[in-house]
Amino acid sequence: MSLTKTLHPDEKIKAGKLGKSLTKVGLGIAFVFLGISLVLGAMHPDGHMRRFLYAYVIGWSYIFSIAIGMLWLIILHHLVRGRWVTVVRRIAEAMAGAMPIIFIAGLGFILPLVFGYKDLYYWAHPDAHDPAINHTMLHKLGWLEPNFFAIRYVFYGVALSFLAHYFRKKSIEQDTTGDPKISETLRIASGPAMVLFALVTCFVAFDVLMSMSPKWYSTIYGVAFWGSGCVGAFAAFALLTLAIQRTGRLTRSVNPEHYHDMGKWMFSFTFFWAYTAFSQFMLQWYGNMPEETVFYKYRMFGEWQWVSIAVLVGFFAFPFVFLMSRWTKRIVPALVFFSVWQLVFHWLDLYWNVMPNYDWGTQFHEDTKLVLGPLTGNTAFHHVAFSAVDITVWIGLIGVFLIGVGRNLTGNLIPVKDPTLGLSLAHENQ
Amino acid sequence: MSTTEHHDDPVEPVLPEHGDLYGVLAEYDTPGELVEAARKVRDAGYTEFDCYSPFPVHGIDEAMGIKRTILPLLIFGGGFAGTVGGLFLEWYCNAYRWGWNISGKPTWSIPANIPIGFETTILLSVLTTFFGVWMLNKLPQVWHPFFRSDKFAKVTDDSFFIGIEAKDRRFDVEATEKLLKDAGALEIEKVYLDPDPAKKKLPKWIMAFIVSSTAFALVPLVIAAKARNSKSSEPHIHIFPDMDFQPKYKSDQAMDLFSDERENRGELDGTVSRDPASLKADEAFYYGLDNGAWITGFPKQLDIDQRLMDRGKSRFNIYCTPCHGYDGQGMGAVPTRVARGGGTWSVRDLTDNSKPPSHAVITMPNGQLFNTISNGYATMMGYAGQIPHRDRWAIVLYVRALERAHNASIDDVPADQQKGIR
Repeated sequence: MSLTKTLHPDEKIKAGKLGKSLTKVGLGIAFVFLGISLVLGAMHPDGHMRRFLYAYVIGWSYIFSIAIGMLWLIILHHLVRGRWVTVVRRIAEAMAGAMPIIFIAGLGFILPLVFGYKDLYYWAHPDAHDPAINHTMLHKLGWLEPNFFAIRYVFYGVALSFLAHYFRKKSIEQDTTGDPKISETLRIASGPAMVLFALVTCFVAFDVLMSMSPKWYSTIYGVAFWGSGCVGAFAAFALLTLAIQRTGRLTRSVNPEHYHDMGKWMFSFTFFWAYTAFSQFMLQWYGNMPEETVFYKYRMFGEWQWVSIAVLVGFFAFPFVFLMSRWTKRIVPALVFFSVWQLVFHWLDLYWNVMPNYDWGTQFHEDTKLVLGPLTGNTAFHHVAFSAVDITVWIGLIGVFLIGVGRNLTGNLIPVKDPTLGLSLAHENQ
Repeated sequence: MSTTEHHDDPVEPVLPEHGDLYGVLAEYDTPGELVEAARKVRDAGYTEFDCYSPFPVHGIDEAMGIKRTILPLLIFGGGFAGTVGGLFLEWYCNAYRWGWNISGKPTWSIPANIPIGFETTILLSVLTTFFGVWMLNKLPQVWHPFFRSDKFAKVTDDSFFIGIEAKDRRFDVEATEKLLKDAGALEIEKVYLDPDPAKKKLPKWIMAFIVSSTAFALVPLVIAAKARNSKSSEPHIHIFPDMDFQPKYKSDQAMDLFSDERENRGELDGTVSRDPASLKADEAFYYGLDNGAWITGFPKQLDIDQRLMDRGKSRFNIYCTPCHGYDGQGMGAVPTRVARGGGTWSVRDLTDNSKPPSHAVITMPNGQLFNTISNGYATMMGYAGQIPHRDRWAIVLYVRALERAHNASIDDVPADQQKGIR
């Protein structure tokens, strides 16, 4: 029994064709499902590809949140001199490395916006400037302006892609040089990187998702989005690692101890998400101010309450109780079940954030006899209507994500010369 | 120790050099060797042994053959009890035993109670963890026979030990020592109990500390018990005086800075209101007046319908019931509570028609009632700042309905519904 181990000489650590085949699978999924989605979107009765674009924002946020979860793990690993991640870090780096592809895919909803598409974000609609119905959001329209929005989007994409690329490139460089100073460099870089990461992630959440309900605001929104994303990220991390082991690679290096830690993270973020989401809800519910409760009004009452309850139970209560045990994290079928479960409910959480805003139209308030603008919380105007295109776009964009991951699965699947590799291989949970 | 020269002294018993053999202690150089040695000791069938190390050693549990701890289960139970207990406490206090109307909010709602339920969950889990660790490890243990070995002090620094106790049924001095030696021990030592049996007792100063600290901890309880069972004319203790006495002026206090000695300066000349409603051109709606006399009907812009009545009921139940009560007869939560403490807090019965007309709310014109709600009456404060005009009129309507209901006769009920009412 020792605190470090050396890599087993027969271990298969070369990616070989793995990346190429994953890219092919991703390409296939993306083409088929996004193709179907385009057809379904064009056929959708609401017209203007509106449903398609809403589903696209959800799907994009989904793959984006998974990539930032992994990017966060890499930065944190360097920041705190983590150990257990080292052996699987290449996989996390490959997932975070999908960032450029994700941001290119995001142009699918950014470009229509820039070219004058009015029906995706309400703030891009001419009605938004009507002071009679929208006086509570007029001051936000300077920030929420399509061209400025697109410029910020490019900045976010460049910043996050750079971070993902930098940490991966340096790590690969160490494979050949074996220079332990590289670990030191990355540790120094990880501090500022974490700050940049946190700010950019927060603002992506504000811009892409929170501005869907432009009359509302919540400062914790970015944190809750990141927490939700990390649940999905660690679920995807565990599944991808298991899949790679099924191909005969890394079989001697990655063991239940590492899966246990992935499961722990998934568990803790399940709770963290619930904590932040409840913090957001609780203060606004108790404060009872119209500009804050509007977001919850049409999610808590009316048709959407059933989706809210499904998210609460499915994304938090049920997995929370079962992931608490160490065995659900160590026994592979249980871990697979809960990873898939959380990946589905992470999507439902994003769906719940975006889709209730789909129905907007002029509303009339009976009590005050006032004409209200859209998204003011009248439950009668917000309907749950699952559509096939919601699902197909989601799957298609998962294909896009797999393309991004596959491109990065090259060379060594383990950072062979990392000084902490021995500790990671011998990692044990008490 | 000589006793020959002092014949008067009691003879002290000559103690043997050692007490009974307690066990053997073997020192190892590295945590790795410790784990390997522990595995050999376990495989040889020993159960009464332990490993000592300056820091937690990974894999030692498995090597020693220690079962997985039941602590997580205990913590789950503690946490669950915390959730249920916390929520029960809140429900019992706020919703069941001492329900209190705060701005018409429901006395029980799940979201408001989750933070406390969360805190009590954490609290009981942590307490269970803390005390569970102590209990499962048989702590506190202030002394151990192995401390008699001088070498053993290194265990907090850089050395690793295995100690096998003599009470183990496989214990045999030579065989055990050989086993430890073969497992790579640097050195092996026999450890004996102290020859003096008095040393086994708890030192007196520890006992004194426990007794005195327990007694000290009771002092606040005694003070609280005394305060509960005695009367005092002194003002109560201000624990945070700066919060109780704040350097600020409340509305309409006296102030010697100005010649009229009033703190409230009123509106400055030329003040223009931001609220178009406060221009108040409509006397009937905003003041309940018509050419200087109280109006008896309702302002013309109000539709007197069920919706307005419902609105009035909900506003009344929020703002008026704490004093006037849900039935308007003057026994709301505040007077009830004051009465329970032996005082009186008289509140006008809104529905009483036995008083002389000048005191009866029931004979007031609607406009005057509206004005009373707006500006207050005697100790009742005005609600103009809290209740919009339209809602105040809705309350007037609802009060009228309450009065009518309390002073109704059977003839007021439609003939086809009189049957069955008594």
